[in-house]
Amino acid sequence: MPAASGLAGHARSHNLLELRGIEKRYGTVLANAGIDLDVPPGSVVGLLGENGSGKSTLMKILFGVVPADRGGIVFRQQELSGHTPAEAIAAGIGMVHQHFMLFDGMSVAENVLLGLGGRGRLRLADAAMAIRRTSETYGLDLDPAAIVGDLPLGSRQRVEIVKALMRDVQLLILDEPTSNLAPPEVARLLAICSRLRDEGRSIIFISHKLGEVLEICGHIVVLRDGRVVARCDGSASRAELARLMVGRDPPPPLARAAHAAGKPLLALRGIELSMSDTASSGSICFEVREGEILAIAGVDGNGQHELGRSIAGLQRPRAGSIRLGNEDVTRWSVGARVAAGLAYVPADRATTSLVPRLSVAENLMLRDCTRPPFGQHGVLWPSALRRVARAAMAAYAIRARSGSMPAGQLSGGNQQKIVLAREIGRQPRVLVVLQPTWGLDPETTGFVMAQILRLRDAGAAILYISSELDEVLALGDRIGVMAGGRLVDIMERAHANSDRLGLMMGSSAHGSAA
Amino acid sequence: MDQVVSLLAASVRFATPMLFAALGAILSEQAGVFAVGLEGMMLAGAFGAAVAASATGSDVAGLLASLAAGGLVGIVVGLVALRFRADQMVTGLAVNMLAAGSTSFLLRVLHHGSAPVIALPLINAWAIPGLAAIPLLGSLFRQPPLTLLAFAAFVPVSWFLTSTHAGLRLRGAGENPNAAYVAGHDPGRTRLVATIAGASIAGLGGAVLVLQQVGTYTDAMTGGRGFLALAAVIVGRWQPGATLVACLAFGAAEALELRVEIFGLPLSSYTVEMLPYLVAVLVLAAFGRSVRMPAALGRAYDPGQPG
Amino acid sequence: MTARLVVAVMELPAFRAVLALLLAMLCTGILVALAGASPVAALQAVMAGAFGSIDRIAYGLNRAAIYILGGTGVVLCFRAGIINIGGEGQIALGGLCAGWAVLRHPGAGPMLSVTSGLLGGMLGGLAWAVLAAIIHVVRRVNEVVVTLLMNFIAGLLVEVALHGPLGEVGAGFLQSPPLPSASRLPLLVEGTDLHAGILAAIAVALLAQLLLRRSGPGFALRVLGESHRAAAYAGFSRIRLTIGLMALAGALAGLAGAVEVLGVQQRVVDGFSRGFGFNAIAVALLAALEPWATIPAGLFFAFLETGTRTMQRRIGIPASLVVVTQALTMLFVLAAMAGAGRKGARSARPAIAG
Repeated sequence: MPAASGLAGHARSHNLLELRGIEKRYGTVLANAGIDLDVPPGSVVGLLGENGSGKSTLMKILFGVVPADRGGIVFRQQELSGHTPAEAIAAGIGMVHQHFMLFDGMSVAENVLLGLGGRGRLRLADAAMAIRRTSETYGLDLDPAAIVGDLPLGSRQRVEIVKALMRDVQLLILDEPTSNLAPPEVARLLAICSRLRDEGRSIIFISHKLGEVLEICGHIVVLRDGRVVARCDGSASRAELARLMVGRDPPPPLARAAHAAGKPLLALRGIELSMSDTASSGSICFEVREGEILAIAGVDGNGQHELGRSIAGLQRPRAGSIRLGNEDVTRWSVGARVAAGLAYVPADRATTSLVPRLSVAENLMLRDCTRPPFGQHGVLWPSALRRVARAAMAAYAIRARSGSMPAGQLSGGNQQKIVLAREIGRQPRVLVVLQPTWGLDPETTGFVMAQILRLRDAGAAILYISSELDEVLALGDRIGVMAGGRLVDIMERAHANSDRLGLMMGSSAHGSAA
Repeated sequence: MDQVVSLLAASVRFATPMLFAALGAILSEQAGVFAVGLEGMMLAGAFGAAVAASATGSDVAGLLASLAAGGLVGIVVGLVALRFRADQMVTGLAVNMLAAGSTSFLLRVLHHGSAPVIALPLINAWAIPGLAAIPLLGSLFRQPPLTLLAFAAFVPVSWFLTSTHAGLRLRGAGENPNAAYVAGHDPGRTRLVATIAGASIAGLGGAVLVLQQVGTYTDAMTGGRGFLALAAVIVGRWQPGATLVACLAFGAAEALELRVEIFGLPLSSYTVEMLPYLVAVLVLAAFGRSVRMPAALGRAYDPGQPG
Repeated sequence: MTARLVVAVMELPAFRAVLALLLAMLCTGILVALAGASPVAALQAVMAGAFGSIDRIAYGLNRAAIYILGGTGVVLCFRAGIINIGGEGQIALGGLCAGWAVLRHPGAGPMLSVTSGLLGGMLGGLAWAVLAAIIHVVRRVNEVVVTLLMNFIAGLLVEVALHGPLGEVGAGFLQSPPLPSASRLPLLVEGTDLHAGILAAIAVALLAQLLLRRSGPGFALRVLGESHRAAAYAGFSRIRLTIGLMALAGALAGLAGAVEVLGVQQRVVDGFSRGFGFNAIAVALLAALEPWATIPAGLFFAFLETGTRTMQRRIGIPASLVVVTQALTMLFVLAAMAGAGRKGARSARPAIAG
């Protein structure tokens, strides 16, 4: 391993990295609109912004994954342009991607060696020793012989970090590094970050979570709509950053009719979720009643998707029962639940709730093709479909040239409107909705929330799951928090505020007693 | 006893073309490219070897030509399945058709339509000093040179895959090409090189068939051996050692086919011929998805969409 | 405006298929010239061979029926993202089962004999495809590998049967005894060999078009071909769809085998269907995975084949050239369609664009 070098040669006045006027356009979207960014040596720079603000694009450009349309990159007084990841790595940049870039079928040592590169014979034993040494130095706790696919997500991230450390990177990019981590692992990661900084390395820490950024970052750059909207230091206030990030005041109080909730339409009893990596602890019980919104907050990845999928019938819970109205639907198929009045808007638009290459109209009938008005007895009625599509496009202001246009060519907001038009248009008794405002502009966000409130006023029971506290507080009649695959608590609207919810969201996933 | 030893010796001989083809397939598939075109690569290799050897009278020229001809088919796969990212399996089927059609066409053009065969002298067997003198078992060790080469080749290929940086990169391209790209590699190039190299080695298998085993080139003379080798790779679960054993077993089945009557077996030769495929299906069904095949095998790699 | 129109046309699957076809024909012409013959003369010979007499046309139409039936099944599977390349084996077993069903009732009248033959063929192909589908779905084994391997087993099963219970005693090679004349498919034109298979094939292709565009299951299979997750979300069962589709494709392939045996061969001969299944895949690709388009694509491949035979006799160009042309067509279509997949959303086909 080459010894740490290069730092002494740099005058302190020079930045390690300078980005100048980076511009990148995807189709009609300007993802980066001329971004400047400086990273001094031995610093942690926080890149803060909502989903779709252009953070990931900027880092992909820096790492050479995608080319910039315009702008310049200077790293250690060296111009980088039109470079590949191989050249970025050679220059001393490392990146831990949000979705880990690992070889699941191979051992930790092989993964590290693939990252290090080299020629000739593999020296697996030497590599194993070096990995042990590095991971002991930084408290990373890795077994070089373990197969990566068998490791939990936290360990996989440490494999990525070891890979970078063993290349002796001067700049480490961490893309949303905490999104898959439980709180104790987050603390561990932050400790590693400060240690690297103390060694004189620099880190770009990408996140949309204010607490972590404030804790670790000496410099904070806030991005919105592909532009830098603010640069501040670690003493900035949380509220100020939040306002800068969203660039708008929290959603205006929506007009909500006060009415008493009716009889329970959705009831979960003793549900234990099957989670992919961590074992859920404890069971989930709640009811959602007629004309009521139960809003659930929580850090993404704490079982929200599993909860939504379990209610929708896309996965079986390990235990417990689900009732829809008077019926036990625990063993019902997806289609039967839809027919019984259960609507579901999952978070994943790109591969689940929308089929980009099918037309707008076909997406509108995605879950209803066996029922009027779309068809009956297996026969589709094309003229009815066209009529429904025209009506839905008008009612939900879906901007598309025609109903036969592929849905994938529409903007994210218009795509989400298609999903809502389908799920709400069915006039469901119960709606389960996850993160419906991800990547939407403020106007569309307001529209989506108003639609959901209207459905509540019409008497439906709604389960609204989101990691955006503002939305949860604005919409919920009752408000709950999920952490570690279970429901921590549910409170009345009047008792909820963002501090209290934040405290509960941070409660340990393996919480002994929350 | 004599019959059994001769059966074993024949098994080794019959397995040889498949050994080369299977080695080629392992290289290609460990890099993530399905080797459905193996049959066509072998056939092209056999044709190239026959034409070159009969034109020059040199077996070495024949072997070189088989490498080139097999590699040519690999280039077509690389162009359509890798450059254009078309479905790898369907592309493999198409190059099989292409090889079958063009070798048959060229053979007739070269011979102006008359007696479409190329006859060649067979390569003689070598006796391994010492071992060949063992009573009874000696004939096992009197094998033609390419057979010895095929067995020998498994060791370096196996070592290459597990113990070199280049081999690790090759497996990386088959496991997760996007991760390979952001780790600073060029998985597209790795896949292309592995495909062409694998195709060349498979072409060598065709040369073995014509130069050392049959002695005459005729249309479609590979007769499904490429697919058999593919089945052997599956049964061997993409590992060189286990694949070698599977090839030998399939070679034994082929040798047994010709001896069904000698041994007085209550089976038809067709049933025996079916065994390798049956075994391959049963192994797949038995192990199911726990078969550790390269994770990105058959999946197109688009360098524009990493992540 | 015109530029946009040109781009739009170039993105059309039909345009790309035709372009690929023209490229393949161009390459073939070059090969003919290299072999020392005039491409024009070769083309004339092919045309004469394909359409020169009623008998030639009948032969071509009979072959087209096979390709359209087989190709339609392939189209439906590929559209759902199921790469079923087992047509070869399904056709062979279909033919075998058709022959067996007919030979079991030697004295039956035409009605019963033909029906049982066709039904037997369909069931044979269906069973073989469903077996592959079950291994694929239940054991999660790649469907390509399973169907590919099962092709060889099917081919050998036919040989086992012809070697044993179904073989003609003392024939010298592997074939069944001739089928009773009652089992012959009805002829469309008396005095020729043209049987009703082509009409059935055209009807099947058009019905499949309706299934794909105007039916719930057709919509479900298109969604499945785009995204497994979206299909699950929409409430479509991947397992049921996969098995159902494979059953349908297998039945169509089996029907193709039965049509060949009952309509043309009048007995089961070893290797009677060699290459049919792979050609059906080529036809499906050339049809840009639209069911109706298997009709022109199947006709093209069939007449190209019959025409090339004559070319060999007339100007001495080997008939195996047709295999080269078919393979080149397939490769060019694959490259062209996959290329479209990256740019245009509409023209892309999930199964092929990868």
